[in-house]
Amino acid sequence: MTPETMPRRSSIAFAGLIVCLAALTGCGKTPPAYFRPNMVEATKQRLTPDQEKQVATILLAMFGTPDEPVCLPETGLDEAKLRLAAGPVRSDIVGRKNGLYREHCGHCHGVTGDALGPTAAFLNPYPRDYRPGVFKFKSTERADKPTHADLVRVLHKGIPGTSMPSFALLPAAQVDALAEYVKYLSIRGETELTLMRAYFELDDEAQGSLPETREFLIDETLVTVADKWKAAADAEIQVPPMPADIDLVASIAKGKELFYGDKANCVKCHGVTGLGDGQANDYDDWNKAIVEIGKELSSGSAAARETSTSGMSPDELSEHRAQLAWLDKFGRVLDGDALEPRTIPPRNLRHGIYRGGRRPIDLYYRIHAGINGAPMPAAKGTVPPEEIWHIVNYVRSLPYELDGELGADKPMLARDRF
Amino acid sequence: MTSMGLSWTFLLACLLVAVTAVLLCFGALVTTYDAAMAVPDWPATYGHNMFLFPFAEWFYGPWDLFLEHGHRLLGATVGLITLALAAAVWLREPSATVRGLVVAAVLLVVVQGALGGARVLLDDKTVAKVHACTGPLFFAVAVAIAALTGRSDMGRTSPALVGQASRLPSSQRPALRVAVALVVAAYMQLVAGAQLRHLDAAAVSPATFRWLVALHLAGAAAVAALSWTAVPLCWSHRTPARRWAVVIALVVACQLALGAGAWFVSWGVPSGLLPASWVPSEPIAARSGRGAAIVTGHVVLGMMILGGSVALAISAGLFAKSPARGVA
Ligand code: HEC
Ligand code: HEC
Repeated sequence: MTPETMPRRSSIAFAGLIVCLAALTGCGKTPPAYFRPNMVEATKQRLTPDQEKQVATILLAMFGTPDEPVCLPETGLDEAKLRLAAGPVRSDIVGRKNGLYREHCGHCHGVTGDALGPTAAFLNPYPRDYRPGVFKFKSTERADKPTHADLVRVLHKGIPGTSMPSFALLPAAQVDALAEYVKYLSIRGETELTLMRAYFELDDEAQGSLPETREFLIDETLVTVADKWKAAADAEIQVPPMPADIDLVASIAKGKELFYGDKANCVKCHGVTGLGDGQANDYDDWNKAIVEIGKELSSGSAAARETSTSGMSPDELSEHRAQLAWLDKFGRVLDGDALEPRTIPPRNLRHGIYRGGRRPIDLYYRIHAGINGAPMPAAKGTVPPEEIWHIVNYVRSLPYELDGELGADKPMLARDRF
Repeated sequence: MTSMGLSWTFLLACLLVAVTAVLLCFGALVTTYDAAMAVPDWPATYGHNMFLFPFAEWFYGPWDLFLEHGHRLLGATVGLITLALAAAVWLREPSATVRGLVVAAVLLVVVQGALGGARVLLDDKTVAKVHACTGPLFFAVAVAIAALTGRSDMGRTSPALVGQASRLPSSQRPALRVAVALVVAAYMQLVAGAQLRHLDAAAVSPATFRWLVALHLAGAAAVAALSWTAVPLCWSHRTPARRWAVVIALVVACQLALGAGAWFVSWGVPSGLLPASWVPSEPIAARSGRGAAIVTGHVVLGMMILGGSVALAISAGLFAKSPARGVA
C-alpha cells in the first residue's frame, strides 16, 4: 500500500465502521419489555399453543406487564412499592427514581425473574430464579417463604462469595420496594407454574382449557400462592438463646463430635477436612430440574431412534411423530431458556465466607432448617436446639482450627488451605 | 496560518478536544448511573430553556440530574466550539483534509445532539447505544483536527507538510498500517463495550451476551497486540509517533487492568477463573463510588486510547501526501 492511497482507504474504513456500528446496534426501536413465558415448564407439560396463550392471557390480567404491574389485593402486595421498582429507569426533579428492578437486578435475574438475564451464564452460582418461589437464606423453616425482612436483609447484605451484590448504598425505601418486587415476580412465577400444571388434571369436559372463573383463578390458585408469603411472618424459627455461660471450648468439642457423628453427619458433604470436599456432585433444585429434563430427553430420543415405524398403525405413527416433534421442541427450548446445569459444591467451611450471613444466628438458621433448594439438609428433628448451638460454635471455629491431623501447625486460614 | 506561534485553529481544536473529553466523562457517568432519564424533556430541561435552568437547582440538585443536565450543557458547549472551529478553519486553513474533517465534525456534533435528544424522547436503549458510539467518533475527529493543525508538534505531518508533498519512507509504512488498524480496533472496542453497558435485560439473551463478551475480549487482545507492536515499529521515527506509541502502550496496559476491574465490580469473580480462596469475603457493593469510578474510567480510557491512536496514526504519516512511490 502506498501512503498516497491511505486517505482513500481510510475513508473506506470509516464507512465500514459506520456500517458495523449500525449492524451491531441493530436497527429499529427496542420493543417494550415483556414477561417471558416459562417455556421449560410449558413444554414439559406438553401445553398446546392455545394453552400457552391462555396462561399468558390470565397472567397478563392478574399481574400486568413489566412496565404496568397489576396488583390484586389478594396478593397482599403494595402497589405503590411495585410501581417504584417496575418499568424503565427514570427519575424526577427531586431525584426520586423509578424502574429500580431493571436498573439494579434485571441484567442478572432477568426482567421476568427467571434468572435468564444477559449476564447469568457467567455467574456461579447462577442468579436466583424467583419463579419456583424457593429461597435459600431466610429465618423461616425450610419449606416456608422468606419474610419481607429476610429479603431486605439479603439485598442489604448481598450474598458474599457470589456475584449477588449488596445494595446497602441504596436508600432503605428503594431496597424495600425491590424486596416487594421480588415477591411480586415470585408470586407471578409460581402462579404461572401452578396454572401450567393444572392442565394435567383437567377432565375431558374442560376440553383442554382452564376454567376462567374467579373461584379457580383467584381463590384456588392466586390465594394459595400468596398465602404462603403471608404466612412467612409467623413461620420464623424459634431460636433458643445460646446459653450465656456456655463453655466455648467444650461446646466446640461437642459440636465437632456432632459434625462428624452419624446424627448430623455434616462430614458426608463438607468432608473430613471441612473443605467441602465430601459428596460434591449434587445439584440444587433449579439445576436438578434441568438435569432431569436433559435425561428424559436423551432417553426419549434413544427410544424414538430404536422404534421402528414399519408396521405402526396410523394412530401410533402420528403419536410417534408428535413425540419426535416434542423432543425436538424441548431441545430447542432448553437451548434458549435454560443454562448449562451446574453442581452446587458443599461450602468450604474453612473460608469463613457464609452466603446467608455470618452472625451466629444466621448459621443457626442454616443448620436448623438446612438450605432450601440446595442439598444441605435440616438438622432439625435429628439434633436438639441447644446442640445446634454447639455445631454453630464448631463451624465458627473451623476457619481458625488448629488441626495436627491435616498437617497444619498454624491456624488454617483459607488462603493457606486452598 | 503562520509557521511559528500557535494558530487559532490549533488552539480552538485543543479546546474542543479538552471539553469533549469532559463531555465524554459526563456521558459515561450518565450511563454508569443510569441517569439518562433524569430529565424527561428535550431540548428543554424541565420546561426551562437548557441554558436558563436555575444553576443552583442543577448544581446542588440530585446527582442524576446533575449528570444529565451537565452532559447537556457540555454537549451544547462542544457544539458551539465546533462551530467556532469550523469558522476558523474556513478562514485560515487551506488544507483540504482539515476542511473535510471539520465538516465531518459539524455533522457529527449535530447528529450526536439529535441522537441524545431522541434517546430521551423515545427512552430507547438502541438509540442510546448509537449515541454512545457516535460520541467517540466525534472525539476522534476532533483529535485529528488538533493533530493536523498542530505546529511542529506533529513533526513531519504538520499542516505545512499536509498541503505539500512529503516523503514517507517505506520503512515507516508498517507503523502507519499498525496505527490505522489500532484506530479501527480501538473504535470497535468502544462499539462492543457500548453493547455491554447499555444492556437491555429484556432484549439480550445470555447467549448473545456471551458473544458480545467474546467479541470484546478478542478486541482487547487485538488492541493490546497492535498497541504493543506499534512501539518497536515507531521507535525509529523521529516524529512524535514514538512518543504516542509508548504512551498508548502504557495506557492500554492500564486499560486491561481496568477492564478486569470493571468486570469484577459488576459481576464478581468469573466462575472457575480464580481459586476460591481469592473470592473476597465481602460482597460487591452495588453503586459504590469506587465501582462507578472503575467502570466509568474503563470507558473513558477506551475513548482516550482511540484519540491517542488517531494522533499516532497522523504522526505516523496518515494524511501525509507523499509521492513516495519508488522511494526505498
Ligand atoms: C451481578 C448479578 C446480580 C445482581 C445485579 C443481582 N443479583 Fe440477586 N442474586 C445473584 C446471584 C448469583 C444469586 C444467587 C446466590 C446463591 O444462590 O447463593 C442471587 C440471589 C438473589 C436472591 C435470593 C436470596 C435467597 O435467599 O435465596 C434474591 C432475593 C435476589 N438475588 C434479589 C436481587 C435483587 C432484588 C437485585 C436487585 C436489587 C439483585 N438480586 C441483583 C446475582 C445478582
Ligand atoms: C447433603 C450434603 C450436606 C450435608 C449433609 C450438610 N451440608 Fe452444609 N451445605 C451443603 C451444600 C451443598 C451447601 C451449599 C448450599 C448453597 O450454597 O446453596 C452447604 C452449606 C453449608 C453452610 C454455609 C451456609 C452459608 O450461609 O453459606 C454451612 C455453615 C453448612 N453447610 C453447615 C453444615 C453443617 C453444620 C452440617 C451438618 C449438620 C451440614 N452442613 C450438612 C451440603 C450439605
